[in-house]
Amino acid sequence: MRPYFEKMDPFGKELKKGELKRTESNIKEIKDAEEVIEEAVEKIKHIGLPTEKINSRGQMTVWQRLEYLVDEGTWCPLHSLYNPLDNEEGSTNVVDGIGKISGKWAIIIGFDNKLMAGAWMPGQSENILRITDLSKRLNLPLVWIVNCSGAKLPEQEKFYANRRGAGTPFFRHAELEQMGIPILAGIYGTNPAGGGYQSISPTILFAHKNCNIAVGGAGIVSGMAPQGGFDLEMAESLIEKAKTHKAKPPGSVKTHYDSTGFFRYVYEEEKEVLDGLKDYMKDMPAYNPKFFRVAEPKAPAYPDDDIMRLLPIEPKRTYNFDQILARLVDGGEHSEFRPDYGPEVYTGICKIDGFLVACIANRQGYLGKGYPEYADYPGIGGKLYRQGLIKMNEFITLCGRDRLPIIWFQDTSGIDVGDIAEKAELLGLGQSQIYSIQQTDVPMMLVVLRKGSAAAHYVMGGPTANRHNAFTLGTVATEIYVMHGETAAVASYARRLVKEKEAGNPLDPVIDNMNALAEKYHEKSRPLFCAKHGLVDEIVNLKNLRKYMVAFTGGAYQNPKSICPQHQMILPRIIKG
Amino acid sequence: MGEEVLAPMAGKIIKMNVEVGSEVEEDEEIIIIEAMKMETPIYAPCDGKVTKILKKEGDEIEEDDQIAIIE
Repeated sequence: MRPYFEKMDPFGKELKKGELKRTESNIKEIKDAEEVIEEAVEKIKHIGLPTEKINSRGQMTVWQRLEYLVDEGTWCPLHSLYNPLDNEEGSTNVVDGIGKISGKWAIIIGFDNKLMAGAWMPGQSENILRITDLSKRLNLPLVWIVNCSGAKLPEQEKFYANRRGAGTPFFRHAELEQMGIPILAGIYGTNPAGGGYQSISPTILFAHKNCNIAVGGAGIVSGMAPQGGFDLEMAESLIEKAKTHKAKPPGSVKTHYDSTGFFRYVYEEEKEVLDGLKDYMKDMPAYNPKFFRVAEPKAPAYPDDDIMRLLPIEPKRTYNFDQILARLVDGGEHSEFRPDYGPEVYTGICKIDGFLVACIANRQGYLGKGYPEYADYPGIGGKLYRQGLIKMNEFITLCGRDRLPIIWFQDTSGIDVGDIAEKAELLGLGQSQIYSIQQTDVPMMLVVLRKGSAAAHYVMGGPTANRHNAFTLGTVATEIYVMHGETAAVASYARRLVKEKEAGNPLDPVIDNMNALAEKYHEKSRPLFCAKHGLVDEIVNLKNLRKYMVAFTGGAYQNPKSICPQHQMILPRIIKG
Repeated sequence: MGEEVLAPMAGKIIKMNVEVGSEVEEDEEIIIIEAMKMETPIYAPCDGKVTKILKKEGDEIEEDDQIAIIE
């Protein structure tokens, strides 16, 4: 199949002088907005105790542990700003992402030992769910850096129980193990109760000499049966008991290495624990990349800085998506599927780091005379019409058959609406696409370049509507909402305006409400909101998009559960004709 | 004879970035049209000088209407 993939069709073109000139202000706006995100992420890194304080205790911080553990240049953080239950600390108290360890891709997560010694916090189990799902979706090992003091007790009602609560990671670890996905855990510090199960549930345990893991910690062991309240005498008694147990917390290395043998290894130094993880990662099941590569990896054909010029931060501005894609994929090469059909959507196969991936995206701008063919009104990119939906359904189905991972790029205002669109079957075709995606069972990654809106956000690989979305990225131009705020205000208040008008009442209060609703939509669709609430898994600088695409693609091909021999792929032949 | 700048679609001119006599470079944004809630820029088709402008901001235009000429 070398003739198909070694040199695919070149696309994209160099930016001309005029284009460089007119995009200067966009670059500045993008950079300024990215700086705001970077500052927010940086702030999270500094919550809790200072690094020096942790280091003075002879411990490394989670950030230092990650830096030592992960292969240089491969770390792609996720959920940096995720904080769905609005913890005052600004974090769910775990740090996670995808990166390579000893040359193999892994999903990596660690407790932030600077904050409450890595306690369970509200929203954390949802964060961990995203990570165990990611491990499952990409069939990649999960590597834990455990250092978990147990539940943040004053807020336990927010996370302890419930179907997706703090105990579910243990079940999910069991589920991953059932599927043959190994979980490695480097264990540090005191890990009682939840921290104990967090430590015991992985597959192989690498312990630091000072760590302990236990069903209950010193606090619980020294506790007493409830007696209807506390008084001074009881407080004094508690002090005595707590002192005793503080000196000897349960579940030390002596117990769980010498006696139970739960710890497979014990290490003197903090770094040696991480060396142990690195050593095991060398032996993780993984194909040599050459097994699946279709060509030698190539850099994109044009500078990645250009993307900051090509993606207008102003949401109403149209742009050329193909120009952006040419700056993300190997060599600026692709094979486009049905270029003459469904012009509002790009579908094509490209290479990332020498691996084949499928890309699907909204195109922008006027779609030309006579399109959509079923209507007497003009079509505009970002919207989905009949042909685009049929084309995507076909393409997705063929990707499933050829086992091609899919990267989606969304900038969509929705599916065409109205009775004409209904007659054109768009409702049915949208749901067909959900079905087509579900049928594929191939890993998918989504980038919400700008708008993710209406049902189109679901049907174009959104995390909401399928099990195959590994992760979703946003950019500083991302906005996600059911519809634009002004459209929502019209939908909510148009009838009220009529009523007030007919009653002879002033319209100002209704207009104020409409403006307030539109403003609320704006605030609650912006990148920081999307990241905090998990509408995206990370806001990524435009220059870093390819890095995540490389991680996703490399991860998807590291140990796939299902493969299609290159010479038996049908999609490239259909494209060739 | 100069190069014509034609409207790619029906809409309304919301911004005219050039005037007669403006020097432009190929692919420089010279006009913005609004249609279907989106802003569509029109780029200079070549390097040159704007010698004629036939429409103004606020004008409704039809597809293929001549908007300007660059020489």
